[in-house]
Amino acid sequence: MAQNILRQAAEAQFAQEIEEIKKQDKHTRPENWLLSPHAVVTYLMGGKLGNGFDVSPKYIGNRRLMEIAVATLTTDRALLLYGLPGTAKSWVSEHISAAISGDSGLVIQGTAGTGEDSVRYGWNYAQLLSAGPVPEAIVETPVMRGMKEGKIVRVEELTRIGSDVQDSLITILSEKMLPIPELNTKVMAVRGFNMIATANNRDKGVNDLSSALKRRFNTVILPVPETIEEEVEIVQQRVASFSKSIDLPVEKPILEEINRIVTVFRELRNGVSTDGKTKLKSPSGTLSTAEAISVMNSGLSLAYHFGDASLKADDLASGLIGAIIKDPVQDKIVFQEYMETVLKQRDGWKDIYRACREII
Amino acid sequence: MSVHLLGIRHHGPGSSRHVLNALSEIQPDVVLIEGPPEGEAMLSWATHADMQPPVALLGYVPDNPQQAVFYPFTLHSPEWNAILYALRNQVPVRFIDMPLAHGFAIEWQETASNIDTSEFTEQVRKNPISYLAEIAEFDDPEEWWEHRFEIVQQPYEVFEAIAESMTALRQALPERNDRRGGDRRGSDRRGSDRREEIREAFMRKSIRIAQKEGFERIAVVCGAWHVPALMHLPKQKEDDLLLKNLPKTKVESTWIPWTNDRMAFESGYGAGVESPGWYMHHWQHPDDHGTLWLSHTAHVFRANHVDISSAHIIEAVRLAGALAGLRGLSRPGLKELNEATVAVMCMGEPLLMKVIYRELIVGKAFGQIPEGTPQVPLQRNLEALAKRFRIKIIPEQKTLKLDLREENDLQKSILLHRLQLLDINWGTMEAVSGKGTFKEEWTLRWYPELTINLLEKAPWGNTVDEAAAKYLENKAKKCARLDEITPLVQTAIPADLPTALGAVMRKMDELAATTSDISMLMDAFTPLAQVSRYGNVRRTDRESIDLIMTTIFYRIIAGLPAGCTGIDDEQAAEMTQKIREVNQAIQMLEKQELTEAWTTTLRTIFHSDRTAPFIQGYSCKALYDSRLLEMDSTFNAFAKALSPNNEPSASANWLEGFLNDAATVLILDDVIWDVVNDWLQSLDDATFLQVVPLLRRTFANFSNVEKRKIAGRARQGKSGTSSPQTIDIDPQRAAQVLPILELLMGIK
Ligand SMILES: Nc1ncnc2c1ncn2[C@@H]1O[C@H](COP(=O)(O)OP(=O)(O)OP(=O)(O)O)[C@@H](O)[C@H]1O
Ligand SMILES: [Mg+2]
Repeated sequence: MAQNILRQAAEAQFAQEIEEIKKQDKHTRPENWLLSPHAVVTYLMGGKLGNGFDVSPKYIGNRRLMEIAVATLTTDRALLLYGLPGTAKSWVSEHISAAISGDSGLVIQGTAGTGEDSVRYGWNYAQLLSAGPVPEAIVETPVMRGMKEGKIVRVEELTRIGSDVQDSLITILSEKMLPIPELNTKVMAVRGFNMIATANNRDKGVNDLSSALKRRFNTVILPVPETIEEEVEIVQQRVASFSKSIDLPVEKPILEEINRIVTVFRELRNGVSTDGKTKLKSPSGTLSTAEAISVMNSGLSLAYHFGDASLKADDLASGLIGAIIKDPVQDKIVFQEYMETVLKQRDGWKDIYRACREII
Repeated sequence: MSVHLLGIRHHGPGSSRHVLNALSEIQPDVVLIEGPPEGEAMLSWATHADMQPPVALLGYVPDNPQQAVFYPFTLHSPEWNAILYALRNQVPVRFIDMPLAHGFAIEWQETASNIDTSEFTEQVRKNPISYLAEIAEFDDPEEWWEHRFEIVQQPYEVFEAIAESMTALRQALPERNDRRGGDRRGSDRRGSDRREEIREAFMRKSIRIAQKEGFERIAVVCGAWHVPALMHLPKQKEDDLLLKNLPKTKVESTWIPWTNDRMAFESGYGAGVESPGWYMHHWQHPDDHGTLWLSHTAHVFRANHVDISSAHIIEAVRLAGALAGLRGLSRPGLKELNEATVAVMCMGEPLLMKVIYRELIVGKAFGQIPEGTPQVPLQRNLEALAKRFRIKIIPEQKTLKLDLREENDLQKSILLHRLQLLDINWGTMEAVSGKGTFKEEWTLRWYPELTINLLEKAPWGNTVDEAAAKYLENKAKKCARLDEITPLVQTAIPADLPTALGAVMRKMDELAATTSDISMLMDAFTPLAQVSRYGNVRRTDRESIDLIMTTIFYRIIAGLPAGCTGIDDEQAAEMTQKIREVNQAIQMLEKQELTEAWTTTLRTIFHSDRTAPFIQGYSCKALYDSRLLEMDSTFNAFAKALSPNNEPSASANWLEGFLNDAATVLILDDVIWDVVNDWLQSLDDATFLQVVPLLRRTFANFSNVEKRKIAGRARQGKSGTSSPQTIDIDPQRAAQVLPILELLMGIK
């Protein structure tokens, strides 16, 4: 794949890792799987292979959750990754598909406008008019391709898709078959086909899954990182790969800044300062790890493109405020309180305090 | 001659299985088990048809039953299975641990040097097999057995391996924690170390005895940790030295029913198990790969209104199997089954697992012991009574509704009250709406530990009746102050203990005579009045209660007026509260003689200039309420108390005493309204300004609604109904008052 692509697919970016793991993989592989379930978990969690090769961790957190996710896909039940925004649902879904099918690209992006034709199949109308309903006139969807090729199909934001369209997944998942009545034929799923859907806790009730569809999924809830160390590690890892991808030199003090950003996020999320002494109000947004990552990344770009290439509090402040203040009135009050009661008082944090002061 | 040491994990089903295999291979002619020798006499009950584990062997000191220890056994306890094996095969079975007689008598010193044995070592010592499993990265030690010993040829190879690991562990552990590097044999080792040493010496002693008696194949079932200490017997003399002159105490033992949720307790056999329900399942269905367990799970969910289909079960079984495969386990363990349950049945939400934990993983099983098992008489009496009343003594929560007009229900109530009095809180009484009804509602729940309380009270008598009476009498006898004995009256009456009540009354009389504390006397009076008026007591008892109540009453009125003088504001408020209670009690009693004497006393208090103003205000109000004070006098009293010549704080207190909690009176009672109103109007401007702050203080206690209503009335001026006198009102002048009144009431 071309080197100048902004963000490579997981299977391309980690091609070497997958290759090495495959070489060392001694466990049995389900049909059409690139790796054994065991090896998929290794790919996700990272670790040293028998030959000393280091596999980087993709998911940072409880190994058991990844085991449940991967084990689910071996029993032909589909997998639903559920949780707050920014808890790595899409990220995990992409990497699992990459490790199992070598292809994370069979994706349906769920929106309110997602129609049945993007789930089952569509028609090329020019063809349809000229040649009538012939196989060539069919526009394949990722689902159809996944079924034919025995690959994992991903559905993002399942609950945003309208209920009737959601329901068209039921037959596909239980019968492993996609009828095409117009051609009087059907597509039978090849072994290896399965589905990973992601859905977001906060959207609950938007288009809640019908109980029939729920029953086609095993659900794994991805939690927010338990400890600050875990969270810092996640952010650090993603920031490092971001800097690499845009050729940014990584400076030493970055780790310290990550620590500070993650601390701010966790304190506001938990409603109490780290030392447990100050009660805080929580803003309306989720303040996910993913947002912490993007605050860091945009700070780094700012520093690189407009500053003297060393990361300063000023570079982070606007991103920080953007992530925290979603509601211009309430959240602003919340953050101002936080600035005065926590940021201002903390030794060595005056720079962040001042930088935020200037913007608000 | 051979000695086979079978090191086990207490309550572990894996251990049990291996012990049983080993026993049938070894065919021992004597079985020695880690357990208190005092319990040996009780062992024959184990095979009784009505013996249903979980049960516990309870050893206790009869003179002090709080010194007690439980040895719980359940179906999958290796010790239990070894006992059953021995009894069924007519092989002698012995308990070889240190006798409890010593265990209770020796004072095990916990010296300050407890860095010696760290908590870590303690943990490992209590549960070494869990520790081994942990190093092998198994979450559940029972899984570890299966995994580790899958391929053994000979059943006792398992125990040889255990013995080796334990030897290594015991050698490694002390060093690890001996931070000071000193000599561990020094005199300052912890009590628990010494205790372990003596216990193991006892176990060795029993092995030697068995050898001397000529047994050929000796099987020893003990916690794995002890195995190395029993492998090589040191010179007998060394052990004898260790066991010489140990103090002793008298010990008794009995079987009691136990519960699954208490299997998790640490008692007798050290660490408990956290998932007895799961182990029980594992034990009874060794071949279940999850289907049965998950079906039970589905069942429990359905019973709790969670929709679960058979398809869910199938999918969960599959996922659990897949997880086990992924983790290299031969079959799913509890973790895998739980995770599969959460992912498949609970939408990933572990919260729902609580009910599964309670009902299945721990389980609600409770045991039963055969009738006729030796018991103390009090225990037997309680069981007989429970049987007569058809209430089961079981560790399940049950509600009992009683109608005290029914003889049978009344008797049940009396029994429960007596037990409460004995601190055997089998039942707790729920508040039933409506006082003085004939209904009682009890929540019953037996806890195994209540047996201890029962044993503790056993010396007081052979029946619940007798024990309760003697216990109460004794308690009364020990009371040194009136306020200690007052609460006993209320417990004694519903427990229907006339003789004890007599003793309580006599003691009460005695203490009342020597008490000069008026408020304590008043505290004693109110409950007595309650009992006298409503108590379900016999006539003779009532007479004696009335007598004492009356005596106490006259003591009160003799001292009360003096008691209302020379006290500070806070004491005055407290005193008022008590006077109010007595006042209510007197009205409730409707005894003319007492009422008259009380009124006289109130008048004395009211008229005395030395009475604390707060109390005086209240007494004015109380007299007025009882229509013993005319409006005129009330008005005068007001004027006098609130005249500007008085200390402002005294006036404020007086008013507060009068109007305390009485906003409604002010709103509804025209007379009082007019008194206050007239008095306010009679004030000249300067005086009025002086009293405003006082009034504010009183009104501050009223709620906003009350204040608004009062203000509403104030706008209408005089009540117009009650008083015949008319006053010339200058509306303009009157209107001028209003803004200030509003301010006063806090409306603006
Ligand atoms: N536990 C984690 N381990 C590794 N990366 C994490 C973790 N949590 C969050 N991340 C990072 O957060 C970023 C955002 O995650 P992702 O987009 O997958 O979130 P999501 O759960 O799909 O959110 P949404 O519900 O908004 O779609 C990813 O770049 C991922 O690397
Ligand atoms: Mg997503």
